[in-house]
Amino acid sequence: MTPDSMVCAHCGLSITATERVRGRIAGIDQDFCCQGCRGAFLILTDAGLDDFYRRREGEIGLPAGAYENAYGEDYLANFVRPDPDGAQLCFIVDGIRCAACVWVLEKLLGRCDGVLEARLNYGNHRARVKFDPTRTSAARIFSAVARIGYLPRPLSVDQGEERAERERRALLIRFGTALFLSMQLMGYSLALYAGYFQGMDAQAKQIFHYFSAAVATPVVFYSGAPFLQGGWRNLRNGVPGMDLLIAMGVLAAYGTSLYATFAGGEVYFDTAAMIVTLILAGRLFEGAARRRAAAGIDLLLRLAPQTARRLLGEQREEISASQVRCGDLLEVRPGERFAVDAQVVGGETEVDEAPVTGEPLPVWRRPGDQVAAGTLNLSALVRVRATATAANSFIARVAQLVEEAQMRRAPIQRLVDRICALFVPAVMVLALATFLFWSWRATEISPLLAAVAVLVIACPCALGLATPMAVLVATGAAARRGILFRGGDILEMTGRLTLVAFDKTGTLTLGRPRLTDVYPAHGSVDELLALAAQAECGSSHPLAQALVAEARRRRLDFTPAQNVRTLPGRGLEATTPQGSLRVGSEAFLRQAGIDIPPSTALEGATQVHVALDADYQGVILLEDALRPEAAACLQQLHTLGLSQALLTGDSPQAAQRLAAKLPLSSVHGGLSPADKAAWITAARAERERVLMVGDGINDAPALAAAQVGCAMVGGTDIALENSDLVLTRPDLGRLVEALLLARRARILIRQNLLWAFAYNLLALPLAAAGQLAPVHAAAAMALSSICVVGNSLRLGRKELLRPEIRVN
Amino acid sequence: MLQSTLILIILSLFIGAAVWLVFIWAVKRGEFDDIEGPKHRMLDEDDARSGKPNRRRDS
Repeated sequence: MTPDSMVCAHCGLSITATERVRGRIAGIDQDFCCQGCRGAFLILTDAGLDDFYRRREGEIGLPAGAYENAYGEDYLANFVRPDPDGAQLCFIVDGIRCAACVWVLEKLLGRCDGVLEARLNYGNHRARVKFDPTRTSAARIFSAVARIGYLPRPLSVDQGEERAERERRALLIRFGTALFLSMQLMGYSLALYAGYFQGMDAQAKQIFHYFSAAVATPVVFYSGAPFLQGGWRNLRNGVPGMDLLIAMGVLAAYGTSLYATFAGGEVYFDTAAMIVTLILAGRLFEGAARRRAAAGIDLLLRLAPQTARRLLGEQREEISASQVRCGDLLEVRPGERFAVDAQVVGGETEVDEAPVTGEPLPVWRRPGDQVAAGTLNLSALVRVRATATAANSFIARVAQLVEEAQMRRAPIQRLVDRICALFVPAVMVLALATFLFWSWRATEISPLLAAVAVLVIACPCALGLATPMAVLVATGAAARRGILFRGGDILEMTGRLTLVAFDKTGTLTLGRPRLTDVYPAHGSVDELLALAAQAECGSSHPLAQALVAEARRRRLDFTPAQNVRTLPGRGLEATTPQGSLRVGSEAFLRQAGIDIPPSTALEGATQVHVALDADYQGVILLEDALRPEAAACLQQLHTLGLSQALLTGDSPQAAQRLAAKLPLSSVHGGLSPADKAAWITAARAERERVLMVGDGINDAPALAAAQVGCAMVGGTDIALENSDLVLTRPDLGRLVEALLLARRARILIRQNLLWAFAYNLLALPLAAAGQLAPVHAAAAMALSSICVVGNSLRLGRKELLRPEIRVN
Repeated sequence: MLQSTLILIILSLFIGAAVWLVFIWAVKRGEFDDIEGPKHRMLDEDDARSGKPNRRRDS
C-alpha cells in the first residue's frame, strides 16, 4: 500500500502520517487511523468475522475488486513458490460445480499471458498454476479467475475446510428444501391424478394448479439454482455440459406447466421438482464420497501443526508454521508435532513416525538426525534447526504428489472426455428431434415430456464420474497405506504389468551390508580397511557406509581423500598422498589395467577390491541380508502371474546366491545402471510391461526406462520426484498391495464405464420413444451416479487386499 | 368440501414449513457436519475433542 493512498483497514478513512497506527494481524501488516479501529479489527478477525469487510462493500455475487481488498499483491506473493519452469501458485476456487467449470477455468487460465500450465482438481477445487513471474503475477491470475465469476483464494488448509463446509451446508439446505416442497407437491399431484380418473371440480383443479406452481417455483429457482447458473455458464462460454441438460429439462417442464396453469391443460410441476430433488440427492452422495476419498491428503496435511516455537537467543516466540525459514532454531516439547522438516541439534528423543513412513515403532533421534514435519515428538524436549519451509516439507510434497496424481488423467479418461464433448450437442439434437416427431405424430405421448426425459436421461454424469472417482479413491486408499501413485495413468499401467525387475541392494535386501571378511594382498587388515575408507567416507552408498562404519569401529585413523570421482555401479577413484586409489568391483579394476590374483574363497559375497596405482591391495567381502518379507512377497507376485527378474550391479555369483532362495525367472549380475536400462528396454521390445523396483539413485535410468518406476524410500526424499510409484516405507509387502490395488482399480474403472455406457445406451431410446417419464429418468440417472460412486468406494475398503499379503 | 381441503392444505404447508425451519436451524448449527464422528466419540479418550475418529494405524 503506498503512503498517499493509505486508508484505515477498519473504517476505510484516510490516515494522516502522524496518526498512523500499525498492527500485524494474522500475519498481515495493517494500517489503522486510531487504536480504536485497530481494536475493532482485531475483535472482528479473532471472532472469524472478517467477512464483515467484504460484506460491507455491498457485494452480491462478486463485484470487481472484492478479492483485491483481501489479497494484495505482496500478500499473494507469499503463496508463490519457485518451480523449475518459473513459479507456481496454488489456490482454492469457489463456485466450481462440475467438470465443465474445471475445463473452462483451465482453458481460460491457459490462455492468459505468462501462464505455462493451469490444473484444477475437481475433487477438492484446488488450482495449481505454473507461470512465468516476469510476464504475469499472482494478482493477475487471481483477477483472471474472478473475471469469469469464480472466487479464488490463497491456499491454506483451514480455508479449504471452511469452504467445503459452507458448500456442503448450502447443498444440504437446498436439498432439504427441495425434498420438503416436492413432498407437498406429490400430495397435490396425487389429488390431481385422482381427479383425472374420477372427475374433478374445475375450480378445485385450478386451485391445486396454483398451489403446485407456488410450491414448485422455489424448488426450481432456489434449489435448482446451481444447475441454472451452471447451465447459463455453459451457454455463455459455449461449452455444453451436464448442467445445461438438466437446466433445460427442468425449465422446459416448469415453463410449459406454468403456461398450462393459466391457459388450461395438464401440468408437470412434479416432474420439474423431482428432477431437481433427485439430482441434488445424487450430488450430495457424490460430494460425500469425494470428501471421503480426499480425506487421506487432508489428514496428511493436517498432521503438521500450524504454529512453531522459534528460539531467538533466550527468547521464545510462537510463529505461524509458514513463517519458519530454513535455519531457524525451534523448540519442540514432548507431545508436540514437528511443524517443518528439521535436524535435531539439542536433546535426544523418541519420535513416532507412523503417519509419515508407516513405521509402527518409535524411532530414536539424536543430534544430527533428521525429523520430518508431522511426526510426533514422544519423550523429551528437543531443539531442532529447520531444514525446509513448511510448504517444502516432505509431508507437503507427498500431499502435493497425491494431489497431482489425482489431477493427472488416465488415458482412458481422455477418451471419455472426447466422447462427452460430442455427446451433449448430440443429445440436444436428439431431444429436439423427439419433440418434433411426437408433435407431428400427435399420439397420446406428450412430446414435451419425451423430450425432457431425453435431456435428463442423457446427462453423462455417471460417465464423467466413472474414471476420476475410481482413481481418486484408489490413490487415496494407496496413500493411506504409504503407496503413492503418480497419476491415473500409472495406476492403470500398474494394473497391467507382466514383469517386475528388482534391484538387489536396498530393495530385495536390507541395504545394510555387514563386513564379513577382509583379505589383504599384503599388509594388515586394518591398513586395507583404512585405505578403502579414505575413498569411501564421502559416499552414501550402503557398501561404502558399511565399510566406513567398520573402519570407525576399529578406531582406524584415516583422512578423507581428495578429488573422489564416483563411477556409478562400478566404484570410486580418488587421489591420495600415496597415489591414485581405486576402490570398486573386479571389472572396474581390471579395466584400469590392474592385475587381480584369482581367488576361490570369494564366491557369493559382495566384493570390494582396492588398488593403489597399479598395485593390488586386497579385497573386502560384505554381505547384505535378504529382507525378511522378500521371499513371501515374491512368491505372491509369482502367484499373481508376474515374472520377476533381478538386475544388480553386484557380481553374478552374489546375484545367483541370492536368487537361489527366490522364485525369480531371470537373474543378471554385474550390470551397470545403463545395462539395467538397456535390459528393460529390450524386455519392453518383447511386449513385456515392466515395473522396475529400485532405491532411486543409481537405478534412475532403469526406473525411467520401465513403464512404471517404483522407488522404495524410508521417509527420505531421494526419488520422490523421479519415480512413478513411491513406497514411503521400505517394505515389499506394500508393493504387492500396490499391484493388487491397481488391478482392482482397473477392473472397477471398466465396470463403471460399462455400466455408465450401457445405461445411457439402453435408456436413451426408451426416452426418445416416450416410454420413460422424466421423473423416472431423473431417478435412474441419480441412481446410476450413485452406483458408480458406490462401486468406486469399494476400493477404499481395508479388507480388499487379501490378509495373507501382510507379512510383517 | 373445497373449504376443508383448502384448510388442510394450508395447515400441512404450515406444519411442513415448521419442520423445514427446524431442519435449516439444525444444518446451520452444524448438526449434520460430522455424521461419522459421534458414533466413535464414545470410544475416544479424553484428549480427542475434535470429534473425528481416532487415527488408525496401518500395521
